[in-house]
Amino acid sequence: MTTQNALNELVGKPYKYGFVTEIETDKISKGLNEDIVRLISSKKEEPAFLLDFRLRAYKKWLQMEEPKWADLGFPQLSYQDIVYYSAPKQNEKKQSLDEVDPKLLETFDKLGIPLSEQKRLTNVAVDAVFDSVSIATTYKEKLAEHGVVFCSISEAVLQYPELVQRYIGSVVPSNDNFFAALNSAVFSDGSFVFIPKGVDCPMELSSYFRINSGDVGQFERTLIIAEENSSVSYLEGCTAPMFDTKTLHAAVVEIIALDKASVKYSTVQNWYSGDEKGVGGVYNFVTKRGHCRGYKSKISWSQVETGSAITWKYPSCVLQGDDSVGEFYSVALTNNKQKADTGTKMIHVGKRTRSTIVSKGISAGQSSNSYRGLVQMTKSAKDSRNYSQCDSMLIGDKASANTYPYIRSQQPRSSIEHEASTCRISEEQLFYLQSRGIGFEEAISIMVSGFCREVFNQLPMEFAAEADKLLALKLEGSVG
Amino acid sequence: MLRGDFLKSLPEPRGILRSVQIRGRDYLERFGLPSGKSEPWRITDLERLKTLLSRPFFLSRDENESNLIRSMAVPPSDGVRLVLSPSLQSIDDQKLPKEFRQITGADLERLLSSNIPNSASDKDWAIGLNQATAGTVLALRVKGCNPPPLELVAEAQLDRFSPSRVVLVLDSNTQLDLLEVILGKGCSAQSHFLEIHLAEGASLNHGLIALGGGEAGLLANVIVHQKRDSSYSLSMIQEGWSLGRIEPDICQGDGHAHTTLRGLQVSKGTRQVATHSKISFQGPEGTLDQLHKALVADKSHSIFNGAVEVPQIAQRTNAVQLSRNLLLSNNARVDTKPELEIIADDVRCSHGATVSELQKEELFYMRSRGVDTRQATKLLLQGYFQDILRSLPVEAERWSVLERLLESVGD
Repeated sequence: MTTQNALNELVGKPYKYGFVTEIETDKISKGLNEDIVRLISSKKEEPAFLLDFRLRAYKKWLQMEEPKWADLGFPQLSYQDIVYYSAPKQNEKKQSLDEVDPKLLETFDKLGIPLSEQKRLTNVAVDAVFDSVSIATTYKEKLAEHGVVFCSISEAVLQYPELVQRYIGSVVPSNDNFFAALNSAVFSDGSFVFIPKGVDCPMELSSYFRINSGDVGQFERTLIIAEENSSVSYLEGCTAPMFDTKTLHAAVVEIIALDKASVKYSTVQNWYSGDEKGVGGVYNFVTKRGHCRGYKSKISWSQVETGSAITWKYPSCVLQGDDSVGEFYSVALTNNKQKADTGTKMIHVGKRTRSTIVSKGISAGQSSNSYRGLVQMTKSAKDSRNYSQCDSMLIGDKASANTYPYIRSQQPRSSIEHEASTCRISEEQLFYLQSRGIGFEEAISIMVSGFCREVFNQLPMEFAAEADKLLALKLEGSVG
Repeated sequence: MLRGDFLKSLPEPRGILRSVQIRGRDYLERFGLPSGKSEPWRITDLERLKTLLSRPFFLSRDENESNLIRSMAVPPSDGVRLVLSPSLQSIDDQKLPKEFRQITGADLERLLSSNIPNSASDKDWAIGLNQATAGTVLALRVKGCNPPPLELVAEAQLDRFSPSRVVLVLDSNTQLDLLEVILGKGCSAQSHFLEIHLAEGASLNHGLIALGGGEAGLLANVIVHQKRDSSYSLSMIQEGWSLGRIEPDICQGDGHAHTTLRGLQVSKGTRQVATHSKISFQGPEGTLDQLHKALVADKSHSIFNGAVEVPQIAQRTNAVQLSRNLLLSNNARVDTKPELEIIADDVRCSHGATVSELQKEELFYMRSRGVDTRQATKLLLQGYFQDILRSLPVEAERWSVLERLLESVGD
């Protein structure tokens, strides 16, 4: 087999999460108008402040235009053709997992996210979101002992309205951008995390998002608040079935870190990416932003982006507190006709703030993979530092790797360093490994894994191995 | 919108550039001013651009060298100095060395018909402006093994808008040193457009010294077409413009060519200077070595935008780009953005960018050896500038650029 063919075969393995769960759902009709916004809010029995928030966002959204600047070339989305709320039918709120529809549990089991007691991942609390609603959150009681709140945002709205009211929209304002405004108007569920003063969260928190229906947009909203001297590590995972139509996923994630708090947010994104001809797949248009508000606070983003027809997201840090730290570690892999425009923004406001950006892009097939990032030193960011590194690996000569680092400085006493390089899987390295009896696929896998090592090292243990496997799987059939 | 009276103030289209002028004016009329929403003009001070266009159009000038040019630098001893003027019709071929010939007639028309700005975009807006306004063109073909160095001087007229356009063709295996000097003064505004065609094996060492002053503004475009085995080296110095913008756009048509870009821009006061470079590799085995430096002081704003395109055909390209910025004041601002678009997989492309102030360790080192801060700063800046200045053609010596730059940042 020639290298080319072998590589192509390697990248082309099927998407194993593409199944659909046959389950009765409570769906509202397609389309978006003020009544729909009110309906979503009433279904969730929300307090008045949230309905106001939604309606304000909706009004702003009406005045906004779908952004075009990233040149992602997707057709105009029809926002009236999307179902904005879909939930598996449950007669009433379940008290325990045993009462949850076994089909749902089975679905998450199949995805490798066991929710039932005996199979639970040890030391990881999971919040599972199916279409628009949260199905179950595990280990809630154990977390509550430490004062940690981990629940779906709908629950938080009812149980901790003052916290939600205080922080929601404070990092990503409802008029921040087109998709954030849309999310603010129609968000259905997501996770809420609150770590009180002085608490190190005793286990990893994790959310798992699953889109099941083909015409449902998923608009989840995540809010993480870490009070003084606390720390938490949070992970999200995403999958969707295979449909010929495009599905929209427009999420908003807000993180607030107060004095000496530390938040680590990791994502393994594996939405359905469409087939090799680019039919179907998820549009993943996400706004993620963290505010390091306190002195010596820290927010670290790590992401492994392998899915979605189009990924468009820039997890960002606004470093307000003096001595605060922002980090961004990313692996973005695109294959076939996938497009990814991702990167980060590091806005330095406080004194002596530091940020690190490590981005690894791998492009195969006819995909396009762009790093787009902003590093900004404002006037007040004295003695701050940034270091960015963006590496691209090209597999085949039809994929594109683009790098657009925006750098802006207004502070002479701070320093910015940026470097980037492009490489490919070299024949020599491949030959070296193969001549030592390592199979072709494994050799590629080893090289890709080595290329991404710096980022994988930042992922929580349980997921680093998974990410490695995921990349190998995604690359199957692509390398040439 | 572009002021209607600017277009009306222009003289009737005539001469060899008539059809180009008509097209350019159509473009401007349709497009108006560039949009602050489009990426190439997003951070440009469009108010200042409007101000530039409000300068009255300059029609005629005595074609002799002005005293200013003479006082700044004596003519090259063994080279040719040509002064560009909006009223320059033709040069007596007899005055030119034998290696230089003017391009006329159908040859010239063919050359002029390329480079029409895309009417759907304001990316090449500055070229559209030049085409609409320039009434004359200096077109030269150079061949032979050892042509004398060429010096082109475009001097602004006080408080006027003056366009200049040059086409330069280097025949195969010709080597030339070209020094271009653009001088602004008072409230002058200049639009300069240079187009270069390098045939196979040709080699051009191009120095571009743009020295402003007062409230002078400059929009300069350099378009270079490189054939196989050609080599192009550009060293740009940009200083003293209220609004300065140089846009080198280089295309390696068949690959197998070498490009070296060196840029230095110095901004003070409330000035805004920008370099938007683009290099496109349309064949395999091309190389690029780019280093761009900016020194930014007071309340000024410095912009660098460096695009590199490596399409599928451009295998084995080797491109290196580095942007180094010295930010010397709390009120100044630097925007720098490398832009790499790569499709070919067997390539080596790297880029880097840094922004910082002068290195404290270096200053400390010199001070600990008895050099006072002022002197040490000067020495460091000198080193910083020399890195770029030494790649200028030798004839640039006469313009004492280093002294001028040091003087401008000295106080």
